[in-house]
Amino acid sequence: MKPFLAAIALMLPLLAACGDANQRLVNNDEYGDWRNGRARNRPQGASAGLVVFGVDKDREAREAAAAGTGLSVNAYLWRATLDTLSFMPLASADPFGGTIITDWYTPPGSGGERFRAQAYVLGRQLRSDGVRVQVFRQSLDRGQWVDSPVSTATNSEMEDKVLARARELRSQSAAR
Amino acid sequence: MRKILLGTTAVVGAALLAPSIAAAQEAPTVRIGGFFRAYYGNTQQSARNSTSPSGLATNTAGATGNLAQQGSGTTVIGTNSTESAGHTARLDKNDFSTDAEVHVFVNGKTANGLSYGAVIEIAFNQQEGRNIVQQRASTGKTTASIDEYYAFIASPTFGQIRFGDEDGPVGGLMNSGVITNFGTGGVYGDRESFVTRQGNDRTTTSPGGLGDNTKIIYLSPQFFGFDFGASFAFNYGVGEDTGCSSNQSSGWCDSSYAFTGASNFGVAAAGPEMSVRRNEYQGALRWRGSLAGVGLSVTGGYVGSGAAKELSPITNTQRSVFQPLGVWQVGAQATAYGLTVGAQYEHGTSNFFWGNPMKGDRPMDQFFAGASYTVGPFTIGGNYVMQTVEGASRTSYGYTGGVLTATPNPAGAGLMRRLGYGIGGNYRLAPGLDIVAEYSSYTVAERGRDLDPSNPGVQDRSTAKVFILGTRLAF
Repeated sequence: MKPFLAAIALMLPLLAACGDANQRLVNNDEYGDWRNGRARNRPQGASAGLVVFGVDKDREAREAAAAGTGLSVNAYLWRATLDTLSFMPLASADPFGGTIITDWYTPPGSGGERFRAQAYVLGRQLRSDGVRVQVFRQSLDRGQWVDSPVSTATNSEMEDKVLARARELRSQSAAR
Repeated sequence: MRKILLGTTAVVGAALLAPSIAAAQEAPTVRIGGFFRAYYGNTQQSARNSTSPSGLATNTAGATGNLAQQGSGTTVIGTNSTESAGHTARLDKNDFSTDAEVHVFVNGKTANGLSYGAVIEIAFNQQEGRNIVQQRASTGKTTASIDEYYAFIASPTFGQIRFGDEDGPVGGLMNSGVITNFGTGGVYGDRESFVTRQGNDRTTTSPGGLGDNTKIIYLSPQFFGFDFGASFAFNYGVGEDTGCSSNQSSGWCDSSYAFTGASNFGVAAAGPEMSVRRNEYQGALRWRGSLAGVGLSVTGGYVGSGAAKELSPITNTQRSVFQPLGVWQVGAQATAYGLTVGAQYEHGTSNFFWGNPMKGDRPMDQFFAGASYTVGPFTIGGNYVMQTVEGASRTSYGYTGGVLTATPNPAGAGLMRRLGYGIGGNYRLAPGLDIVAEYSSYTVAERGRDLDPSNPGVQDRSTAKVFILGTRLAF
């Protein structure tokens, strides 16, 4: 009896290490609770109880889900980029990837050139390097649109405008 | 056996500590949880009223020494089983019962993906009765104590190690088929709060009754639906100290492997975690999966232990009077569409309270079955348990001039039958808040044995029926 149990005790942990895709950690709430010590109908294991010390990551996740913003990028930068590029027709906007692409736009009184912009909002933080704008320009040459260079300052000026607008939005919402 | 188990856990522990997968480190969180419950109970129990006169309830003025709790209730080490005759009293059928626990959970994660933490469960039911030491010196029934506390480390690759006062794999952690998720738990529920101890009507062999003595537990990851657990404990003791209650080594010491009066501690003493159980080991293998939409869980397990020996006070000789504890357990349950059914069977050497039986005593057999059904906020269910076990032990032990004498039981060895059932339900008012109602009955029967000695005649059957209505809040 005892050698048999001893062999099992020795073998099973080693066997356990062999599994890979079919292996997972058993959560603490999958073990019995025989003094009714556990709160029924409540999160168990690492999520049990109310946090009194430390960061409640579950709560952060719950609140983010409840807020329902659907944004995976910074909301101020996203809004500010849309506002800043709103003078151009929008071709596509993906709030999860953080990309905004406009269609070609010809400024009034300048029929010989047209512009297009791509903007990337890069993260959840409101930071000066959190947005990148790329402006493309084409000019009309003998009835054909051909690519032409944009002054290097244009991109960073657009980014500055986005950041300024984001700061505005941020201060507005903070004042509320 | 002990060395092998320790060696195994050491290997696993070393593996756990090795860096495995990269994961974000998490600062520990401290959480507070627990429960509060308040019940009304109506109890009909044979032997609940005593008629044989004994001592008075002593609450006399001017007490300077210890007050006797009962007529002859002096505490003598080694006389655990000798209950005094008790006061003459008649008990009302109706009572309220309240209980609560506060749990502290610490959880963290290291940079290499190792989860760690501790659980500390503070209970407030340390004493069943008031402990009046002197007239103005007493502790109430709601004294705080520790239910369970342990630390753990866990890794997805190598599983979990728990170290501390905690149930074992067979004794509560990994059982299948023990359906208690309705009411207060049916026959394994909170009925014990209302039942007095006559005839041992309130003692059940629930998985958790095996005890949360200090142990080291290994719980494997699940692979192909299987997981297993093993545990080892040196003895039945819990907590920090040695258990020795004076400057003499005695049976109260947790680690005593031979002591005078050991033969009285096959059944654990109520309150102080004290029993002759030594070198306890448990192992359980569980499979969980689903077939055609039916959730299944099957567990097989074994618990074994040695026992402390009797020690003659004068001749200083040791004598083994107990059988090793050794109980096999197999259980299964199935769940579909809110309906859960399960059954469990146990067989092996054990007395009626998960204790080492005396040498020569018959083995224990126990069958449990239960079912529950959950629909919306309602859960209803029922369970049933039947046990046959040695009754009055075949042999009693005493000392004559320091020599251990074994006296055969003059009444002969009887088969004790223990039958219980419970039906109940709960309604969930809000997450964590339940209203519960339950009816349960438990009968102990042994032919020829008087299970109610304080009343005239021989009552060879004792039953306690309890109806519970109340509320339970978990937080």
